[in-house]
Order: sequence, then structure tokens, then C-alpha cells
Amino acid sequence: MSEDTGKGGFSLFDAEERILAGAKSLLERMAGGDPQLLSEVGTLADAYSRSVREQRRLVKVSDRLQNQMTQLNQELARRRTEAEEALEKLRQAQETLVQTEKLASLGALVGGVAHEINTPVGIALSCASHLDDATKAIRVLFEADDISVDDFERYMDTAADTAKLIVANCERAADLIRSFKQVAVDRTSSERRTFRLADTIAETVTALRPNLRQGGHEVTVVCPPDLVLDGYPGALSQVLTNFVMNSLTHGYGAGACGHLRIEVEPMGDDWLRLRYRDDGKGVPEEFHNRVFDPFFTTRRGSGGSGLGLHIVFNLVTGPLGGTVVLENSPGPGASFLLEFPRVAP
Amino acid sequence: MDNLFIAATERSPEVTFDSAVGTLRIKGESYPEDASQVFGPIFNALQDYLVQAEGKALKVDFELIYFNSSSAKALMNMFQMLENAADVDIVVNWQFMADDETMKEFGEDFSEDLEHVTFNLVPVS
Repeated sequence: MSEDTGKGGFSLFDAEERILAGAKSLLERMAGGDPQLLSEVGTLADAYSRSVREQRRLVKVSDRLQNQMTQLNQELARRRTEAEEALEKLRQAQETLVQTEKLASLGALVGGVAHEINTPVGIALSCASHLDDATKAIRVLFEADDISVDDFERYMDTAADTAKLIVANCERAADLIRSFKQVAVDRTSSERRTFRLADTIAETVTALRPNLRQGGHEVTVVCPPDLVLDGYPGALSQVLTNFVMNSLTHGYGAGACGHLRIEVEPMGDDWLRLRYRDDGKGVPEEFHNRVFDPFFTTRRGSGGSGLGLHIVFNLVTGPLGGTVVLENSPGPGASFLLEFPRVAP
Repeated sequence: MDNLFIAATERSPEVTFDSAVGTLRIKGESYPEDASQVFGPIFNALQDYLVQAEGKALKVDFELIYFNSSSAKALMNMFQMLENAADVDIVVNWQFMADDETMKEFGEDFSEDLEHVTFNLVPVS
């Protein structure tokens, strides 16, 4: 029975072994005695010996099973760690993509506004150059002392008209820059401030005008003019931009001109309801519960990232502290309903 | 008499035996390849102490989280050894995490055959 005597020279079954040795010596001492008694004691000793062997085997089997279990648990822990790491990486990648998408939409705004500012600046420039020409001409006449009252009156009219146009167009350009600046600052700083909701909506729509004008789309805004909110105008502006871009991308075929509508109404003293609606093709029933999922898009091939409405969902449920749902609108088009507090959480 | 300290390994517990004070502590997990190698030195130290400990006391703290079957067999041998040392005042503290029902039941099982040894079940959190 030395098989289980470990390197420590110590047997776990030391006590049992000693009893077995005792039984053996007892049997030797009983040799020549009553054969019936001898046989019965022998049977008992055998049974005990078998029982000890079985105990050893059971301990071995059980140890082996416990080892297996331990290894399985370690393997399980390792795989879980791997899965958690993979998930974390995926989340980070998703976060990066969302940021990229936000910056890309800001980039599109910059492009659009640059284009928009070009028109008034161009008009102001050609007016200024026209005024310059007219001034040079009248100076020539004046220096030659050949100036008539008619010439002078005509020049006065030209100067007044062009100056008026220059002022008006420069004001228009300044307006555009101001509203874009506000949108861009809000969008990138994500700072909290108090703001007039109607102004933020108007500025956002202005910044989107180049995109809207391409298809001849119109936006109607219904919003109480003096509604003041405390929260994140950048988030709200991003939400509206994504709604509009979503409508323009998905809602209208070539040549179709859309009617977009942004409606705001108070819900009691503390909450607002904002409904965004277009009259485009609408969202097919089977996509209704997936539109807010990240990377869900029907336009992957043609540049859709599938993040636009996901960002909307994150901004509304995050910074704005509200809810957003895609409504089952009876008419044509898509309709989104936002409900959020006047004071962001 | 020598003190005994065995550092824990991944599969064996930390053992601290202070023969001057009369305390033995076994702490950690125990599922060694060879249980007799781990428990042999403890048995020897304990045996030496108990032989010379007449009239003295011994406190044994078990702080085990997990053990396998041969370790369980070794523990039973150890309890038998303690039970047989009738002249020594022996207290066993069987610590277990309060939510670990299994470890508590092991303690209850081990204490069944003990008459001379004071066996305390000590839940910790």
C-alpha cells in the first residue's frame, strides 16, 4: 500500500494502514485457533481492506473531477475576460465612430455655410466695384470741369443704391456667420447654458439652408418665441440637423420637394413636446424598432453610416434627459416625437 | 520547538504554526497534486507539539476557501489527531464566508466526531 505515500513520506491513509497491519498480525497470532472464528475475522479484515482501497479510489476520482472543474472555471473566467475585452473594444470603436460622424456633420455644415456666405459677399463685392467705377468716371468729368447736373444726380443714385446693397449684403453675411458661429460653438463645446429655443431652431435651420435649397425643400417652424430653456443647445441643434439630413437622404427622390415641420408645444410647466415631421416616403413598418440602433442603415452602399438617428437617441436620452420615439403617423412621411424637460438634468 | 511557516502556492494554503503561543493557522485554497506532501509537515509539527503539550492549549484557525477530496481526508486525519490529544485544551475556529453554505456544512460535518475539541463555526464577511 505504498502507492499513495507521497514524497513527504506521509500517507493520508496512515491510520487505516496501521489498522490493516494490526489485523494482519492478529490473524497471524490466531493461526491454529478455531477455523470458524479465523475465517470470520479474515472476512472482516478483507472487507475493511477493500473499503480502504475504495476510499482511496474515491478520493482519487474526486480529486480528478475537482481538478477538471477548476480548470473549466479558469477557462470560463479567461473566456469571459476575452469577451468583455472584445465588447469594450467594440464600444470604444463605436464611440469613435459616433464622434467622427458628429464632426463629419459639422464639416458638412461648414461647407454649406461657406457656400451660403459666398452669395452676399459676391453681391457686395460687385456693388463695391461698380461704385468704384462710377466714382472714377465722375472724378474724370469733375476734374475736366465738364460735369452736368444730370451726371451728378445719376452718380448720387448709383452711390446710394450700391451702398444700400453693400450694407444689406454685408449684414446678411454677418448674420450667417453669427448663426453658424453659435451652432458651431454649441456643437463642439457641448456647454450648458440658457437659450431661447426658437433662436436655436432658427439658427440650425439657417445653417442647413444650402442643403435644403438644393431640393427646394421648405421648413416650417412652430415654436413659442419666448420659450427659454436651460440645457444643451448644441445637442438639440445636432438632433434637428440629423432629423433633417435623415429626411433629405431617405425621404425624397430626385425632384421631389419636401415640407419639413418642427413643432414645439409646452407640456405643463416643466416639459416640452417637440415633433419633427416630413412628408417623404416614411419609414417602412419592419424598420420601426431598429431605426435608433447603431449602424442600422438602408443606405450603407451610398454613404449612410447608420449613426444619425442613433446619435439622436443618445443625445435625447442623455444630455436632454428626455425620450424620443418614431411615431406611427397616419399620413405620409416620418414623424418623430421628442419629450424633454425645460431644465436639462 | 520549531515554528513552521509555509507560504501559499496557487494550489496550497498558507500555514503558520507558532509553537510558543500554541496557534496554528491554515489559510487559503488547497487542491495540491499531492496532499500528503502539503499536510505531512503540518502533521509532523502538530504531532511533536501535542506529545509535549500536556496541560497547554492549542488554537487552530482554518480559513479555507476551497479544498479537494484528499485535502479533506488530510483534514479529517488532523481532526482525529486533535481529538486524540485529550490532555491538551484545543479550540478550532472554522472560518467561512457568511454566504458560503458549502464551507459551513463542511465545518459541521468535521465537527460531528469531535468531543474533546471545542469547535467554533465562525462566519466572516
